[in-house]
Amino acid sequence: MVEIELRNLTKLFGDVVAADHVNLTIEDGEFFTLLGPSGCGKTTTMRMIAGLEFPTEGRVLFDGQDVTGLPSFERNTGMVFQNYALWPHLKVFENVAYGLNVRKIPKDQVKERVLGILDQVELEGMEDRFPTQLSGGQQQRVALARVLVINPAVLLLDEPLSNLDANLRVQMREEIKALQRRLKITTVYVTHDQEEAMSVSDRIAIQNHGKVRQIGSPTEIYNVPQDIFIATFMGRGTLLEGEATSTEGGVHMRIGNITLQGLDSTGSIKQGDMVACVIRPENYCIDEPIEPSNVLEGEVEWASFIGPYTEVRLDVDGNKVLVDVPPGMEAPVGGRLKVYIPYKNTIMLPLEE
Amino acid sequence: MPHSTTTRRSPPSLAASLRGNAVTLSWAEFPSVKEKVEKLRRELDPLTLVQTLVSYTILLAFLVAPLSSLVLQGFRFQGDLSLRWFTDILTSPEYVSLQSRGGRMFEVRRGVMYIWGFDHGILLNSLFVAFSVTVLCSVIGIAVAMIMGRYEFKGKSIFRVILLIPLLATPFVNAYVVGKVFNPQFGLLNYLLYDLLHVIPWRISVDGLVGLMVAQTLSYYPIVYLNVVASLNNIDPSLEEMAENLGATGFRLFRTVTFPLFLPGLVAGAVITFIFSLEDLGAPIGFIGATANPLAKNVASYQIYSAFAEACTGQISPKTSALALLIMIITVVSYVAVKTYTSRRSYAMISKGGRWSPRLRTPGLGVQAAICLSLLLLVLWGAMPQIGTFVLASTNWATSGTLPTRFTGEFFKALLTNKDVTRAIVNSLGYSFAAVAIMVLVGSSISYVVSKRDIPSKNILDMLATVPISVPGVSLAVSYFLFFSTPFFRGSLLDPLTDPALLLIIAYTIRRLPFMTRSVYAGLQQIDKSLEEASLNLGATRTTTFVKIVIPLIVTNVISGALLSFVYSMAEVSTSITLGALREDRVPITFFISQIVYGTAAVGAVSIGASLCILLMTVQITAMAVSNFVLKQKASFLGV
Ligand SMILES: Nc1ncnc2c1ncn2[C@@H]1O[C@H](COP(=O)(O)OP(=O)(O)O)[C@@H](O)[C@H]1O
Ligand SMILES: [Mg+2]
Repeated sequence: MVEIELRNLTKLFGDVVAADHVNLTIEDGEFFTLLGPSGCGKTTTMRMIAGLEFPTEGRVLFDGQDVTGLPSFERNTGMVFQNYALWPHLKVFENVAYGLNVRKIPKDQVKERVLGILDQVELEGMEDRFPTQLSGGQQQRVALARVLVINPAVLLLDEPLSNLDANLRVQMREEIKALQRRLKITTVYVTHDQEEAMSVSDRIAIQNHGKVRQIGSPTEIYNVPQDIFIATFMGRGTLLEGEATSTEGGVHMRIGNITLQGLDSTGSIKQGDMVACVIRPENYCIDEPIEPSNVLEGEVEWASFIGPYTEVRLDVDGNKVLVDVPPGMEAPVGGRLKVYIPYKNTIMLPLEE
Repeated sequence: MPHSTTTRRSPPSLAASLRGNAVTLSWAEFPSVKEKVEKLRRELDPLTLVQTLVSYTILLAFLVAPLSSLVLQGFRFQGDLSLRWFTDILTSPEYVSLQSRGGRMFEVRRGVMYIWGFDHGILLNSLFVAFSVTVLCSVIGIAVAMIMGRYEFKGKSIFRVILLIPLLATPFVNAYVVGKVFNPQFGLLNYLLYDLLHVIPWRISVDGLVGLMVAQTLSYYPIVYLNVVASLNNIDPSLEEMAENLGATGFRLFRTVTFPLFLPGLVAGAVITFIFSLEDLGAPIGFIGATANPLAKNVASYQIYSAFAEACTGQISPKTSALALLIMIITVVSYVAVKTYTSRRSYAMISKGGRWSPRLRTPGLGVQAAICLSLLLLVLWGAMPQIGTFVLASTNWATSGTLPTRFTGEFFKALLTNKDVTRAIVNSLGYSFAAVAIMVLVGSSISYVVSKRDIPSKNILDMLATVPISVPGVSLAVSYFLFFSTPFFRGSLLDPLTDPALLLIIAYTIRRLPFMTRSVYAGLQQIDKSLEEASLNLGATRTTTFVKIVIPLIVTNVISGALLSFVYSMAEVSTSITLGALREDRVPITFFISQIVYGTAAVGAVSIGASLCILLMTVQITAMAVSNFVLKQKASFLGV
């Protein structure tokens, strides 16, 4: 088990900057996720950890040791590929035994370890099948077993659930998480799905255009996003833009007749700056809460019953605001609605150029 | 106010930062050079290094070096650089003559219409024949491809197979059969149309250059057909449908939409046809055997071949090498141009998205019958050499006049009993096996390096491995002779005058390498790079990965490529009948057939040559069947 450190890790493909000065430390035994939109450089960053891609600049350290130039077969990482990359000409047993055979482990031990790990991923009895005779979920488990059996120092998972259907995805991510807890193995997980990332990770790094924009626990990333990209990427919400009128006791902002007060997420907003106020639809209260809050009132423009709540779009003096209205509460289109948002749930971010 | 964690950095150790700085400083001005050097070091693992070195060594020693000596000789006169030999060729009427130097075209004399073509000198004759054959094959090939690629009809699957019969190797004998069928006195055609049916007012003599054209067209039209059908199947049917919606139908649709889309396939097939025709020796020698018409000799390939008759003395005239060089320049330049063009075009096709289910119409029964009838006529016509070969081998047709009078098995028996014949068979088998063994090693190495590794100059490697398909066999033979009979190699195993066996093996290897690399390359393209990466990631070196993962996944492609190369090695003509002629006990099958057809072999009867061709065809059919049905590989590479 190791601690991984990336220093200024940069990868250029011609003119494309796939990874841009990535700096981060993944702690021993941590479940760490690289999250970002497709094409932002997550896979490239992970492949540089695995030694399948080599950085244009910067270094990769395992437990303080520089491994930047080491080929993949000398790194003892275990990578699960997005397409699983199971070898079609080898049976499940042979697929899983491959890493052990390469390490010249005695035959009887190989057998014991392979059967043991197949047991752990609930594939007992499947060892004589070929990969094409397995379902997607089973293939996924074989891919996982194949890397776990060699006791890798690091487990690397590149969008491991993207080829599974929705139900299986939730089940598998719980299993992966449980397995990781049990084995206490340093894990790097790549996904573009923020819900998936939040549900499994100890910490998350948000990547965009190759750059890491923020690193933190799921709650930090969700509640205290460091820029507008992260705030909008991490969930639904409404952006309201205006000028900071005061920074006494949080940031105060005014748009027309509306005044809003919120927390300065980055701690860098000064009076007179242009700011964006991010409000998540689930943070509204229909009745006035005990804590200090902002008030918004407007006409219901559009409403859509989702199940757990009704999604409503309010027109507040020309500003469109998304609100989740709890079930059992009427919000007819054309009617008026008054909602409250606690200050502590109102995020203020500096507006970028 | 809670703050999110930003990047956590542990302070780098002093030593590390010093080391890092030193490296950064020394390379600061050339970051890209540094990256390239490091990348090269990583790419050149032991396996790749060995594969690259072996491939380059073989290609440089046996392709680049000999051809360079051909180039040097062609440009040298009395020790100086000079264009003398080329100006000689281009100005002497023997090679280039705008006025006809003889020959007859649609000329009726004493009840016979002569269709021979006019003699415009060796070089122009060659180009004229090759060009006409290309045009004829393109017309037939497109027509057949449009029918096979766009219509559904009864018996189509049978036609799909029998349309390929002309590709079966019947060297020399095919032209001999054509000559015999068109013979004005006792040829089958005249017997049928003139004596029996009285539908033509004169007997017809198709011979000379036109004879070559007919014989070659019959053999080569499937090449165009195969390439055009392949690109027709890659056309997005919605493109044609859209054009139809916009009102384009019939010929207009074909001309404005379909034709431009299959043009790359057509051009690829056409250029191969052109090259094969220009370098062909089978038709001239076969025709001379059948009719002794000297006009059939007046083409470049034959002239270079006949210069080998004197090669035993250790000399090939500079003018001959210049001619060999000239036709090689023509073929190689056309090939490279077309390859560049089609690789650009086919990427555009691929980017529109993979394979389409082709657009098939099922016409009415009447039209279906018409299609079948015309295809049947074409097949009968195109398979005439193969049918004729079979008749020659199994009856007394060679000596019986217009029609055979009895069956006989004696010519097949001769394959086993005649010492000269069996020796030729054993020789050819040995050469081909040895060549295929080298091809398997070199061909898979080249394909692997080209498709999976990222080293500089891999494009050159790719080009060197595919360009031999465009190098005329006679030119390669001349270059081998010039290069390996020099004092440096004198008396060694590479000296063709000492023993041509090794050179023949190498010549087969080089000439058939494109078949091997193509086949393996196709297999490698199916292997996602993650399959190899997963192996590396689990601790296997590149060499282990190649042995345990890559080879098992491409083994069927390797075998299929080996079968194909083996077949085409057994049937190889140009170097076999030139270099192979240099020592009597080393002659391969095709040399033997050429001597029989030519009438100089002690064994005599053309029928034995025909039965040897039957043997070749059997080998070929077996190999294709194994490849198609056992290995499930499509083994018929005749493109660029
Ligand atoms: N081998 C490659 N060659 C060229 N460009 C690449 C290569 N791999 C990735 N890229 C480019 O680098 C960027 C990041 O890719 P990737 O790391 O795969 O993103 P992600 O995994 O976040 O979707 C993309 O723009 C992609 O097109
Ligand atoms: Mg990715």
